[in-house]
Amino acid sequence: MRSAARGITIALALALAACGGTTSTGGNTATSYQGKTIQLGAILSLTGAGGVYGPSSKKGADLAVEIINNSGGVLGAKISLDTRDDASDKAQSAQVAQTLIQQGNLLALLGPTLSNSAVAVHPLAESFKIPILAVSTTGINIVPNCNAPSTVPCKYVFRDSLGEETAIPTNIKIYTAKAHPKTGVLMVANDDKFSSDGGKIVQNTVGQYGIDLVDTVAFSKLTADFSPFVTKALQKKPDVMFITSLGGIPAKIMIEARKQGFTGQFLGGNGFNTAVVSKQAGAAGQGAESGSAWYLDNTFPSNAEFVKAYRTKYSSDPDQFAAQGYAAILILADAAKRANLTFSDVAGDRSKLRDAMETVNIQTPLGPFQFTSTHDVKQTVWVILMNGSGGFNLLASVNPS
Amino acid sequence: MTQQVLNAIFIGSIYALFAVGYTLVFGVLDVLNLAHSAVFMLGAVITYSLVALHGMPFLPAAVIAVLVCGLLGLLIEFVALRPLRRRNAPPISALISTIGLALIFVAIVEQATPGTLFSWLWQDGANSVRFPAGTVPNPTYHIAGLTIEGTKLGILITSVVLMLVLGYVIRYTQVGRALRAVAENRRAATLLGINVDRVFASTLFLSSALGGLAGILFGLAISDISPYIGRDQVELKGLAVIVLGGMGSIPGAVVGGYLLGLIEVFALVRFGSNVEAGVAFAALFLVLVLRPQGLFGATLRERL
Amino acid sequence: MDFFVQLFTNPVGFYNQHELLIAQIGINAILAIAIFVTFYSGQLTLANAGFMAIGAYTTVIMSLYLPTPLPVNMLAGALLAGLVSVVVGLPVLRLRGVFLAIATIGFVEALRLGVILNVPITGEGQGLHNPTADPLGGIVPILISLPILAYLVWRLTKTRLGQAWSAIREDELAASSNGINVPLYKMIAFIISAVLAGYAGALETHINFFVDPTEYGITRTIQILTFAVVGGTTNVFGPIVGAVFLTALPEIVRQFAAYRDVVNGVILILVIIFRPQGIVGRGGLAIIRPRWWIRWRARERPAAAH
Repeated sequence: MRSAARGITIALALALAACGGTTSTGGNTATSYQGKTIQLGAILSLTGAGGVYGPSSKKGADLAVEIINNSGGVLGAKISLDTRDDASDKAQSAQVAQTLIQQGNLLALLGPTLSNSAVAVHPLAESFKIPILAVSTTGINIVPNCNAPSTVPCKYVFRDSLGEETAIPTNIKIYTAKAHPKTGVLMVANDDKFSSDGGKIVQNTVGQYGIDLVDTVAFSKLTADFSPFVTKALQKKPDVMFITSLGGIPAKIMIEARKQGFTGQFLGGNGFNTAVVSKQAGAAGQGAESGSAWYLDNTFPSNAEFVKAYRTKYSSDPDQFAAQGYAAILILADAAKRANLTFSDVAGDRSKLRDAMETVNIQTPLGPFQFTSTHDVKQTVWVILMNGSGGFNLLASVNPS
Repeated sequence: MTQQVLNAIFIGSIYALFAVGYTLVFGVLDVLNLAHSAVFMLGAVITYSLVALHGMPFLPAAVIAVLVCGLLGLLIEFVALRPLRRRNAPPISALISTIGLALIFVAIVEQATPGTLFSWLWQDGANSVRFPAGTVPNPTYHIAGLTIEGTKLGILITSVVLMLVLGYVIRYTQVGRALRAVAENRRAATLLGINVDRVFASTLFLSSALGGLAGILFGLAISDISPYIGRDQVELKGLAVIVLGGMGSIPGAVVGGYLLGLIEVFALVRFGSNVEAGVAFAALFLVLVLRPQGLFGATLRERL
Repeated sequence: MDFFVQLFTNPVGFYNQHELLIAQIGINAILAIAIFVTFYSGQLTLANAGFMAIGAYTTVIMSLYLPTPLPVNMLAGALLAGLVSVVVGLPVLRLRGVFLAIATIGFVEALRLGVILNVPITGEGQGLHNPTADPLGGIVPILISLPILAYLVWRLTKTRLGQAWSAIREDELAASSNGINVPLYKMIAFIISAVLAGYAGALETHINFFVDPTEYGITRTIQILTFAVVGGTTNVFGPIVGAVFLTALPEIVRQFAAYRDVVNGVILILVIIFRPQGIVGRGGLAIIRPRWWIRWRARERPAAAH
């Protein structure tokens, strides 16, 4: 733990120093950060449907907070992270967000976990002018237009979770380059924003790569028996099956499809990217391909220490969500460092923090991290394959253009 | 298309088994037991618990689970139903108290994670799990271009056998006769010396045992066990089935179950998957409006 | 318990932090009033979530595509709900008891799964973003509407219409043979209930940046039902009390928030078995019956039959 903490601090310090992190306006002005607390909040789905992802984000974030606090904090200021559960319920997410925001002393928020909740919470944060950093939402209209269909960009909403708009097309591109499929079928949950967003992206992308989408089979995310849907999908004998759902659905579809004799390729979205799903799919999922924001054995400088510290603290491997949660704290800590916080004017501090976030440029387990002009993520995409026994193999990595 | 019909028959068996329990209680006690779907879920959860968490082989685990569900039926009777009957409360009260029990059952499982009060029963909280591979042998047969799974075939056979057995019991045994008498006319049955309370208790035991079994078969066939399988999958569809078949009629529940399976699959094939989910309810609505007694129900008696 | 501490020591802060919660309580109370109206006329209809959906979606769709002002949109939503209730009610209201309940459940789910999920203008599964949401100001119309609606419904129960409803509830056959046009009065109750629910749905969009179909399903309906049952259905304040109590409960017992449903279920069973008239039993909060209350009630109905 010690050496990992030291390692991280060194990496952090180096990165910050290298990227001009030690201030643009000559030192931390009037207020010293010593002994102060940077108050952060998080709204995560620790229970409910999103409960597969929320706890990972929390673990990653908690780990980062612990490491930073144990190695001097942010210029001497400690970080405190107040995490609340929204039970994967949109209304509750909004209520919890409001309570947190109006308690009055939080400088920034993380979350919420699900895209479904984000559409309620992000506009709320925007209207209260508090920076919010999404750590797992990858649907469309998260950034910059959190108030879609209005095109006015949201100034306070950011995300460090690679969007499906990047991940899915990259995935399709890599696959078609080597296999040249002709036909595909899309399986999508039409009452789940994440899944239907992914579905839309698939529909908009396949044409470019010469795939003819012969059928779109929509179902309710509450469906238990997928056999009739799979039967329908396989009628046209597609080369590829796109599955954009999350939770337990991808594994079920893959298993059923293999049972019914499908030998083609599974291509998916972010829903594929946790060990839980790979394990559920088991042998049926072997070779299922998706674009991911993170890969366990990636060679970025701060990743190895992150993985080691995580394994030490939690006795298990981190996943993409943990990495994104961890990175989020790094991002906020870096921005806090450069923001010349007063620790007395909360509204002013939130605004300064927001400004500083836009110019973040640090090393994280996700790789070198910067926000795009639309507060979105610009990073390497890892194309991974399920290995049939609960893990993933790396197929390719695509660097940001 | 034939594959789809097969799909329909398999899911229909589960609907039918579930609905039989539902309709049994309605026919005999005049009560819609909305805790039935929670018992369905607990059947699967308990079996899973015994198999995956405590290492028991499937068959004994299933038998125990079915018995426990039967006992839960007794719990429902004694806690939620009997006190209301003593007070001559209107039937809607029973509806509501069974809703309350269902809420409790589901919440208990939903909150059970490692380290909590009920972690001996369930550790996956709100998540969905499946029986460990190899719990039951499950060969897949490919005949004439169709895919037939061993488990699904087994479920079909089990359901049919059970329904035949139930039919026999109801029709030809003492217990069955008492049941039918009470269903027909409670007061007359009392006068005939039938212990109505005991009949109610047995009905609930039987119905819940069947419901629990349906849950186990569901978990096996669909590979999905979670706190919500009762509520999301069968509760409302079960309603549609017994309305279709006629409330209080067992053959109605059976036919209704298969019918719903077929209607759903047909809607999926013909109109696309978007419509499939709403079909059960559209059917329910139509039946209630056009022929409230369903296919086999007696002409509507005043139920409130 | 710090919930209550804050309520009394820092009411302004309490209000600010829990505004959305208070607004939600207000909405739930209006929904509870809606289901009260049908209960009062002896009908167990569980269609309110569906009418809510109609109110909410109409409001949002109109705000998105038409230049009409928000109040007009909300009114349109409520009225459309009323209109649909006529279409739904005509075939359904002659059913009794459990069958009526099931039919109305069928309507709600058919609306949600069959219509909302399939008509592009509703945004289908993804829902619609609501441009008129105003989390800070949205509570105002709710806090204004609630007492007005409660009062109106309360007055309504005192009129001949209300008495007809009571008669129908007590004994439909007798009421009918006494010359009361039962189907008509039942329909009126159903329509009023639908309009109220539609209005509540429209109001809820104020505090919701987003509307989507999962909000308006069977779980919502059962939730509303529990408000009415726990609160008591003898007069209009019962469901309101039930709504306030049950919506605020998870906040109050935050430690047990995870077990909220268990608590809800237990409360439901305890109430229905031991105190079926609900918290607000026959004639006002049975818990508190001060002298002046009893005297005031007696004066209100000098010639009361019972």
